[in-house]
Amino acid sequence: MPLTGRRALLGGLLAGAALSPSGPALAKLFAVARRNAETFTLPNGLQVIVLPSRRAPIVTQVVVYKVGSADESFGHTGAAHFLEHMMFKGTDQVPAGEFSRIVSRNGGRDNAYTTFDSTGYHQTIAAEQLELVMRMEADRMTNVRITEREIVPERQVILEERRMRTDNVPASLLDEAVRERLYGLHKPYAMPIIGYADDIKRLGVDDLAGFYRRHYAPNNAILIVAGDTTAEQVQKLAERYYGPIARREIGPRLRPSQGGTDLPQTVNRADARVAEPRWSRLWLAPSYRVGETKYAYALQVLARLFGGSETSRLSRVLVQERRIGLSAWASYGPSSLGLTSFDIGVHPAKSRSLEEVEEAVTAEMKKLLDGGVTAEEVERAQNQLLAAAIYSQDSLASGPRIYGTALSTGSTVADVDAWPQRISTVTRDEVVAAARHVWRDNGAVTALLTPAARGG
Amino acid sequence: MKPLRALAAALASLFVLLPAVAGAIEIREITTPLGIKAWLVEDKSTPVVALSFSFSGGTATDPAGQAGITDLMAGLLTDGAGSMNAQAFRQRQENAAASLGFNASLDRLNGSLRVLSANREEGFELLRLALTEPRFDPDMVAQRRAQTIASINQAAQRPGSVAGRTLMETLFAGHAYAADPDGTPEGLAAATPELLKKRAAELLLRNGLIVAAVGDIGEAELARQLDHSFGLLPTGTLPSLPQQWVPPTKPRVVVVERPVPQSSALMAVPGIPRDDPDWYAALVMNHVLGGGGQQSRLFNEVREKRGLAYSVSSGLRTYKRAALLLMSTGSANERIGEAIEVIRAEMGRMRTEGVTEAELTDAKTYLTGALALSLDSSGSIAGLLHSMQIDGLSPDHLTRRAALIAAVTLDDVRKVARHLLRDEALTTVVVGKPVGVTQVP
Repeated sequence: MPLTGRRALLGGLLAGAALSPSGPALAKLFAVARRNAETFTLPNGLQVIVLPSRRAPIVTQVVVYKVGSADESFGHTGAAHFLEHMMFKGTDQVPAGEFSRIVSRNGGRDNAYTTFDSTGYHQTIAAEQLELVMRMEADRMTNVRITEREIVPERQVILEERRMRTDNVPASLLDEAVRERLYGLHKPYAMPIIGYADDIKRLGVDDLAGFYRRHYAPNNAILIVAGDTTAEQVQKLAERYYGPIARREIGPRLRPSQGGTDLPQTVNRADARVAEPRWSRLWLAPSYRVGETKYAYALQVLARLFGGSETSRLSRVLVQERRIGLSAWASYGPSSLGLTSFDIGVHPAKSRSLEEVEEAVTAEMKKLLDGGVTAEEVERAQNQLLAAAIYSQDSLASGPRIYGTALSTGSTVADVDAWPQRISTVTRDEVVAAARHVWRDNGAVTALLTPAARGG
Repeated sequence: MKPLRALAAALASLFVLLPAVAGAIEIREITTPLGIKAWLVEDKSTPVVALSFSFSGGTATDPAGQAGITDLMAGLLTDGAGSMNAQAFRQRQENAAASLGFNASLDRLNGSLRVLSANREEGFELLRLALTEPRFDPDMVAQRRAQTIASINQAAQRPGSVAGRTLMETLFAGHAYAADPDGTPEGLAAATPELLKKRAAELLLRNGLIVAAVGDIGEAELARQLDHSFGLLPTGTLPSLPQQWVPPTKPRVVVVERPVPQSSALMAVPGIPRDDPDWYAALVMNHVLGGGGQQSRLFNEVREKRGLAYSVSSGLRTYKRAALLLMSTGSANERIGEAIEVIRAEMGRMRTEGVTEAELTDAKTYLTGALALSLDSSGSIAGLLHSMQIDGLSPDHLTRRAALIAAVTLDDVRKVARHLLRDEALTTVVVGKPVGVTQVP
């Protein structure tokens, strides 16, 4: 496995002069920050990415498994996340609860996360303790003991987590209902990452151990190490600790190419706990992997210029000029193994109705579709996106996050490297064509959050 | 660096991180030609300059009848300056890929600037404009006021926010720290552009300034830029501090009803000032009790063993005129009473037994090592340098910190635990529909 030298993120962008749309401003941004990434793959299929940085004597290890809540089936929702919790519950080498204690005892911090498409485990620790965390992370890739004794209290913890994140938060409850319609009831991305409460109560040893066996294997994982280390050192340790773990047969990751079939729809959550109403609309949208993927870059520019900052169209017109909204936003996330969504939202100004907001948003959308976008606003959006990418190189956590997300959602290291160039070559026409493709009535759910009379 | 290495060698086995940390951050103190003092860590590894700074006086010194004016003013500093309205000012920031922002805490008016070093000239010019020629255009004042009021209304429905607010109102009744930093609708309504201008002039004083800079910039260049941005600010009388806080002397339990399935609980006792000789013993005690991460006694007893909560932790908070030790958790309405009892039992156990030898050792290793973990971006390093100055520490503190932590003994921790963890000084706030929690007025 030869090491492949790579210029990460902003690599290849010294060709900035050849990228015409935005000329010198972008080229200047491109030239300033680059980070070297090195990649290799172990014989058992574990993909490794090393992002050396000498800034502080610390390292971050992240192991990302290519499995998330969208790989669950109805009736077993929450399994990916429940398993994430159980990964701290012990192996023969490391007793239950000890993983984090050992990391902490050695001056480090650790945690984990679950998304629709991935599950990640990360530690940040003194550079000389890299071996310790690699040994322990490799150990729990295959040796976790899932027992009823540990599941019982942890189930309560997860139900409390659900209460905190979802049941206590009207906007989260609305989001659950909206996803069910947008992606189609019981389909991937329609079911909540943390799971439905009934499923969490039902999941047991067999479900979780089965999920672990089916999805946790070196050939279904990405190891990312960032910080004060070298590719040679990481390779040596990876071979020693992850190398002996056998590969497993991994089933295909299935994602529907269609979303909800009964669209458009409107969901209204009237809730006594809502103080300020909110209007939003979500459209099914292509990701980097599914649907009309050619629009994935133009949609990022569209979200930015339409509602991505306080100089965007929605902010300027709805908030500054017409005073219909208190704030307005648009967002789009292309990193998904299946379909994704393009979202627009507005908090109405006092005494403005949700109908007025909807009319104003619709008028702005029509204006963009009919009148196009200016070269200047496209360039500004591209600059904002690229600037954010440059600043993200200033933090140790962002590199692993970017690569982990990309590689668990079907993108490649080359895709990550090419991102700045692809963003900077998006044209005005592509932005409008992408908007026309996504802003279709039969692909949308309108989500209303409104105050209800207080029932106590 | 020589003495450092020697010290490090002496502590080698336990405090392996020390030389590396100290080597990673070499702090220089500079004084500009116009007399502005700043701390600088020059770091060419990323092409970024990050500035963290603040001025004396925060929301606790909001004038009577103008609750919220300081934070509103802080936000408006970047909503138009000089000949530029808010949109034009923002576009110039975007063109330079610069990010500039202000906010107010109880004691200080804080600001930060982040800019590519290639664009630093423009970044520091925008900072100068925001500080010396802010506009407070009436349309922007109205917009920010409306946004702030909406966010106050929203916070009033979030159990965690309500608990935080209620705790401060209860602990600091009659003191300036009781007031919501965001203000009140009435106070915000009273904040006219003229009063906002006046408030800015009262606080933006050169003699109240603390600055830290990190990144791809040398001493001479930083001095030039700081004089450009801050040099025109006047000196003047700094806002007077709030009175010293008199902590409560009897236990209280406050319940605020909200229609939610999970109650939020906050528990607080008077804490320890940052300059107290027992600070490091308190830091160790807090780490073992409920400090960050997943190793603490509270995490183990409340979450791991009993599954009573997802989130449970404790922390030390310091203000200019007060200090708190805070514990927080959230649990189903039916179980929050039990969670609170477990936390109280752990406070009691810590008070009577202190920590074990092993806990002491582990806490020291963590607290020594964790410093380096926070040095992962220019902004976070600038933030650390800034807070060190607020705390009155010297630049060589980073080289002495490990020894201060190492010197903490079991007795020190026991003493500070007895002093802090007193039931009779405990204020508890529960927000939700808790079952079996009785108010103690």
